[in-house]
Amino acid sequence: MRFNIIIGGKAGQGPNIVTEVVSQGLVSAGYHAFYAREYESLIRGGHNYNTLTFSLIATRSNQSKIDILVCLDDNTEKVHKENLKKNAIVLKYKEPKENMHYAGALYKILGLDFRILENQLRKLKNLDENLREARKGFNDETRSLGIEKPQNSNTGFKLINGNHGISEGAIKSGLQYYYSYPMTPATPVMMMLGDMMMEKDAKHKVIELESEIAVVIATLGSSLMGARAMCGTSGGGFDLMTEGLSMAGQAEIPIVIYLSSRPGPSTGLATYSSQGDLDLALYSGHGEFNRVVIAPGDALESAELTNQGFYFSQKFRTPVILLGDKNLAESKSVVETEPKIIEIINSITSMEKFNSYEHNEAGIAIEDAETTAKNFDRRAKIGKEIAREAQKFEMYKIHGNKNSKNLIIGWGSTKGAILDAMHDGNIDAKFLQILYLEPFPEKILDELKKANKILIVENNATSQLSKLIATKTGFIIEDKNKILRYDGRAFFSDELAEEIKRRMR
Amino acid sequence: MAKQSKSKKPIKTNVSIRTNATNTWCPGCYNFQILAGVQNFLENQMKMGKNRDDFSIVSGIGCNSKIFDYINLGGLNSLHGRVIPACIGIKVAKPSQNVFGFSGDGDSYAEGMEHLIHAARYNSNFKYIVHNNQVFALTIAEPTPVTEKGYKDKTTPKGVKLAPMNPIKLMLAAGASFVARVFADVNQVQQVLEEAQKHKGFAFIEVIQPCIIFHADAGYKDKLYNLQKSGHNKADLKAAMEKAEEWDYNGVKTGTKIPVGIFYQNDNKPVFEELI
Repeated sequence: MRFNIIIGGKAGQGPNIVTEVVSQGLVSAGYHAFYAREYESLIRGGHNYNTLTFSLIATRSNQSKIDILVCLDDNTEKVHKENLKKNAIVLKYKEPKENMHYAGALYKILGLDFRILENQLRKLKNLDENLREARKGFNDETRSLGIEKPQNSNTGFKLINGNHGISEGAIKSGLQYYYSYPMTPATPVMMMLGDMMMEKDAKHKVIELESEIAVVIATLGSSLMGARAMCGTSGGGFDLMTEGLSMAGQAEIPIVIYLSSRPGPSTGLATYSSQGDLDLALYSGHGEFNRVVIAPGDALESAELTNQGFYFSQKFRTPVILLGDKNLAESKSVVETEPKIIEIINSITSMEKFNSYEHNEAGIAIEDAETTAKNFDRRAKIGKEIAREAQKFEMYKIHGNKNSKNLIIGWGSTKGAILDAMHDGNIDAKFLQILYLEPFPEKILDELKKANKILIVENNATSQLSKLIATKTGFIIEDKNKILRYDGRAFFSDELAEEIKRRMR
Repeated sequence: MAKQSKSKKPIKTNVSIRTNATNTWCPGCYNFQILAGVQNFLENQMKMGKNRDDFSIVSGIGCNSKIFDYINLGGLNSLHGRVIPACIGIKVAKPSQNVFGFSGDGDSYAEGMEHLIHAARYNSNFKYIVHNNQVFALTIAEPTPVTEKGYKDKTTPKGVKLAPMNPIKLMLAAGASFVARVFADVNQVQQVLEEAQKHKGFAFIEVIQPCIIFHADAGYKDKLYNLQKSGHNKADLKAAMEKAEEWDYNGVKTGTKIPVGIFYQNDNKPVFEELI
């Protein structure tokens, strides 16, 4: 059983902070929780809301129907009332209250201990005022959701999002410089690393420059000095970075680029989610050069793959693209274990000449045919070494029933919704999650051949992973087996379960 | 685990500052003057006990940037217009490094203009040399933002209609802490680099470098006068601005005077890599 709370209001009314203290409370009490943010590209007003799903079992996505609707403004009820379950609780007041009033009331409805909220509020400013409001909300509220309580509240769960995982993975990989130009949904990494920069013993710096072009070139400048440097952006900014990506390929300079996607083309939906940039990550930049493209599916994998990204970039002096999206970046979920971190050895240890021109061993530009062809062959050999090395890592994961003849394929942030849909829908299937898109785990062809029924789930309009699978393995996934959502929103696990069952019939 | 992938040999530190790369500039090109000035400057630095590993070179794309191949220092031959961010990246990673960026009027005043203006604002402590030949030479004679009115080539058969921009004025307005112009003469280049080396902060050095193939010397040499010898106060920004306005890059006429030397220097501006 999963429960869904929508907390909505105008930007500036504080739906985020209410969601945060309530979800942290649920996690402290021993529940699993997941929440996603939906917000418009504005600073004040509009309609922003968060969907918080919690349960006694692992929860990695939202559902479409609402148990509790928290209305910080009147509009929230209008927008969401059609999705209310029968007997749903609507929390609203005649006159809008301070945001912590709603948090207090929610704690009461959820049967959470007020002391947990008190602890949460101690982390914020205006403790006295917040506490007063929260207590009033708690005391005045009489309704209860009447749900089963967790047996163990001492779980050690952490509630973090993909951006947090990436920041953590970068720091654990010895990050020294994070260059960026603000762009949603990559910006929170910049903010988070900025916060961490103020911590004692912090060894990294966050540097904002005048454009994504400056950002990628400066990252390469630091990297060629042997420093561990990374940059991050979304699709539009990545477009600008591609000349730098191509130079990293030619000059063979290590770089990790975080590409956090939102729906394009162009400005598209600035604050929503999409998996529409897989092709961009794979094929951007002019000329033929090596690259690694990896896509984490949750916060823990974000930390681990960031670390692996640094590993590959240093070891093979290659650009690495860490591909995520807003759903991964900004949705918070429970992480139960620490990320596995591997040691990274610096590849550049002395002064060298790096060159955007085709060059000789001394780094000096050449134009002769023989050296040019030799360089291509040498880079191709490194490409093969990268592919061999990648096999030492989990390039894909198999979830669910390993013996099932039904195969569901996905990558990146759809992982959570697919897992929850399979569980809740009692779906007999094997879920193949691909983490390495380049180099590609070609042996998944065995899995494809073994399956009787194959479905692919992606948050894009053209099923870019299907195209990649066809290119790499020759296996064609039929259009009727593609479950695609491309309206800027993540899959709801209940709707996805129904859709999977319908397609499997 | 496989060995670290390395495509290149590290720079040897006990050999000449010059490389044995074949020089592909046109015979008689003024770039040779600049190269000789830079080499003399670097050799002097080494004689004074500096370590070669403490110097890095960055270049862009264009005739000027071939200098990367002729100077035996580590660094990056970057992209067109992207010299400055690479220099900043190096300085951030190692603030004590002596970094020299070489670019042309194409990659400084056209493609890379955003970086140039911000470089003046950031004041990262590196030296930036613009080989200004007032033409896109390597792509065969197209006009740049500093080409004079009336200049004709195949792409602009009716002649350039726009007035050239004045980079010295621009750099002064943008807050550059060291602004200089010299002619492509071995001694002038060496001297200005020595002055720039003593400056802590971003040093903008424009070198007037006539292209003997596509933009012949309009007689600039005869029009030069030295700012320092004429008693110019380089600490005076207003005076620097007036001096910058003396020549508008729009060719030479009777009475044209082209000031060379240091227009402006302010050693008290904080340095980017110490602020972040």
